[in-house]
Amino acid sequence: MAKLYVKAVPPADLNRNTDWFTYPGVWTSYILILFFSWILVLSVFGCSPGIAWTIVNLAHFAVTYDFFHWKKGTPFAEDQGIYNRLTWWEQVDNGKQLTRNRKFLTVVPLVLYLIASHTTDYQNPMFLFNTVAVIVLVVAKFPHMHKVRIFRINADK
Amino acid sequence: MASAVVNFLNATLDWVTFASDGPSARAVVFGVHIGGHLFIEVFLLVVILFLLSQKSYKPPKRPLTNKEIDELCDEWVPEPLIPSLNKELQYEPPVLESAAGPHTIINGKEVVNFASANYLGFIGHPKLLDSCSSALAKYGVGSCGPRGFYGTIDVHLDCEARIAKFLGTPESILYSYGLSTMFSAIPAFSKKGDVIVADEGVHWGIQNGLYLSRSTVVYFKHNDMDSLRETLENITAKYKKAKNLRRYIVIEAVYQNSGEIAPLDEIIKLKEKYRFRVLLDESNSLGVLGSSGRGLTEYCGVPVEKIDIITASMGHALATEGGFCTGSTRVIDHQRLSSSGYVFSASLPPYLASAAITAIDVLEENPNLIKKLKKNIAFLRKGLSKIPGITITSNPESPIVYLRLEKSRGSMKDDLHLLENIAERVLKEESVFVVVSKRSTLDKCRLPVGIRLFVSAGHSESDLLKASESLKKVVASVLGGQN
Repeated sequence: MAKLYVKAVPPADLNRNTDWFTYPGVWTSYILILFFSWILVLSVFGCSPGIAWTIVNLAHFAVTYDFFHWKKGTPFAEDQGIYNRLTWWEQVDNGKQLTRNRKFLTVVPLVLYLIASHTTDYQNPMFLFNTVAVIVLVVAKFPHMHKVRIFRINADK
Repeated sequence: MASAVVNFLNATLDWVTFASDGPSARAVVFGVHIGGHLFIEVFLLVVILFLLSQKSYKPPKRPLTNKEIDELCDEWVPEPLIPSLNKELQYEPPVLESAAGPHTIINGKEVVNFASANYLGFIGHPKLLDSCSSALAKYGVGSCGPRGFYGTIDVHLDCEARIAKFLGTPESILYSYGLSTMFSAIPAFSKKGDVIVADEGVHWGIQNGLYLSRSTVVYFKHNDMDSLRETLENITAKYKKAKNLRRYIVIEAVYQNSGEIAPLDEIIKLKEKYRFRVLLDESNSLGVLGSSGRGLTEYCGVPVEKIDIITASMGHALATEGGFCTGSTRVIDHQRLSSSGYVFSASLPPYLASAAITAIDVLEENPNLIKKLKKNIAFLRKGLSKIPGITITSNPESPIVYLRLEKSRGSMKDDLHLLENIAERVLKEESVFVVVSKRSTLDKCRLPVGIRLFVSAGHSESDLLKASESLKKVVASVLGGQN
């Protein structure tokens, strides 16, 4: 017998704060933003490619740490405060760990670190900054760090 | 501390750099030189591949321990549904044991009633009682549905036609509940984005209508035409470029909260100059003002078609229940689908509609009732003037004689307490029933509170004399003791 009914698939993510990362092409846009940021830094500061990659890496660290691992809740009122205690990283994929998007977001800082360190030939002080940034970002993305607040840093109330 | 950490990190990194440059790290494996850089890069690639090979999982939810549950329950304080009632708001009104005519029975004792808006003395009128009895026999008690469903009885249509004929308008529309007339009519016409200029002394029913309309509401000073003109000028200038904008002036003919009468002729001049529409509530002026009781328009000599929307409650002079809105055909037809009180409420019981028809008939047949009422008002005002500590602030023609304290006690609460004391003693010692202003927590009216006496054509001169003498005596004892 032929299929008589359409199987309605529920949406993967009802959270408007995180469902944009499930859109098609978001990985490509993410990478292109980083690449064009590198070109922009090269043009504006006229520095070496290695220094430019370091600047991009550190800026990426600052932006993603603040928006993904520090800010809590959502700017939308429809969810009635259910995400008020969760960072964006804890809201992604409804808290499911080691999903494709989470792996992508963990690999990007590592690859940025590789590029920045390699192009600066592992010289200080860029090496120090890059290493600290990548360690903080990757540790914050560990599955074991889900809803963990070290020394009550950024804890509720 | 920070510098120590920096030094430690620098030493560690120097060691890492030294190690990667050390000769032992330059081993040759199958002819390929292994350097420190390559080591770090291969390590990170291995980490990335390991990460990518992991399977996703949902972290298990850690259930709350019993201790945590108890703590959460203990610290939870729900928001109260209603504001807490303070002691002043707990007031037990006197209970009537007979009809609320000019004389009524409270606690087994007959008292003179100045608490009911029975302006024409129609409560207990034999013609109205006969009309109600025959309507009950013919139609039963209730209408059993809204007007748009099965709730329309022929007596509703007759009543609407009769009201329109009496007031000289093309059409009118009935509401089943007097208080909801104005707070259904205002939202039917005024919407979000429109502007309403309202007197600050309007009663709560109108205030609720202003709130439900979600319009921009601007209040002007009570019965102050200079304030109204200034407000209209400001709004006209402010919204000069707005194209789809409706603008209304909302007033009462006789203000329930002060007994003052609106100067309708001046308001119509301002309305036409600044191009506003006027909503007029005639609850306390229908059957009272004008030589034949047609209300404020007749009293001020203004043609009735100059008023865009007129509403009135029929529970006052007409001694029935419900309310009506009257005006042009377009104004009335719009409410038949847009007015909540008309569309969603069961319609007026048929015997109340027939009572309204009969009341208007009796009023037209007996114009001396209005003269009697005016004479009673003047007589009572004369008796109540020159009471030390109390002043009459209502209009000389108003059926609501409004007494205010000459000197306020400093807050509305204290004033209310004092006035309620006076009213209570007047009722207990002198058998005269008067009411003090009632201001709920929702009421935005900030006019001073006072004692209201609703004069009726059914009061006799001895009733009025008794009221003035008893008030004089009790006020002297209460305020004399206070001062």
